[in-house]
Amino acid sequence: MRLLRWEAFCAILGFVLTQVFILVPGPYPMALFTFVAQPLFAIAAIGYLSKVIANLRRHRDL
Amino acid sequence: MNIDFLQIVMVLGTLTCVLGVIFCVRTARTRFDQVEAPNKEVNLGIVRVPPLTFAKLLAFASLIVLPAGAVFLANYHTFEGVHEVRGCASCHIMLPMVNDMQDPMSGTLAARHYKNRWIAENQCYHCHSDYGLGGNLEAKMTGFRHLARYTTRTYHEPIQARVRFDNKNCLNCHAGTPRFEAVQSHKTAHERLISNQMICLNCHGQPHPTSVQRTPGSNDYARLTEKMK
Repeated sequence: MRLLRWEAFCAILGFVLTQVFILVPGPYPMALFTFVAQPLFAIAAIGYLSKVIANLRRHRDL
Repeated sequence: MNIDFLQIVMVLGTLTCVLGVIFCVRTARTRFDQVEAPNKEVNLGIVRVPPLTFAKLLAFASLIVLPAGAVFLANYHTFEGVHEVRGCASCHIMLPMVNDMQDPMSGTLAARHYKNRWIAENQCYHCHSDYGLGGNLEAKMTGFRHLARYTTRTYHEPIQARVRFDNKNCLNCHAGTPRFEAVQSHKTAHERLISNQMICLNCHGQPHPTSVQRTPGSNDYARLTEKMK
């Protein structure tokens, strides 16, 4: 595992959209949170976990 | 000072998101293969860890723990928000229902419940409770569909209810009360009411303004779509 750059950027965007929804709840922020922020968090988590698993396999820990 | 759950959620959500952004920026700038030698340990207060371990812990927190926390808090915010009448009225497409309900001159079922204070608060949610956290998966999917169609403006006025209204929403309050039990037809139709073969509205009238009233250009449209005060 060398870098987690794009995963971190996905999560940052997710956090920003979530923050907007929490502070200014309304249909549009809610849609952004539901249909953009949550999938971005999921993509970041999947990217991170796949790199961790690949790293563990490379070091023969798995 | 009166602090409610929603305010606590707002504060916790803000903290989670701000921390998440800070941790993510740090994680994005970390090259895990070039983290400094293990002799420079990082003090976490209760334990000292090597820099690489610290970087990995930070990555785990920023990409798994904090997003999970933010999603939980924001979803709690969503499910609490849908309880309030104001939450329903924030989509202008629902304004005819809300304005009519709050109109003392209206005779619709929703308006009668509102003006007689049969439901003290969160009136929309009480009659459509299958829409919220306790509702079934179908109701959740309906909510997502409504949100998607409203925000992409892929809907046509007047909106039509696609799902059948569940009588349980009425029976939760009315079933078993002396006034309900005193009506013979409730006993006769009991099974059909429980199984939704017959709906309460067959006898109890229009719940909201008619689709004709909610059609743009109708005499009532401007009045019904006035912004909530």
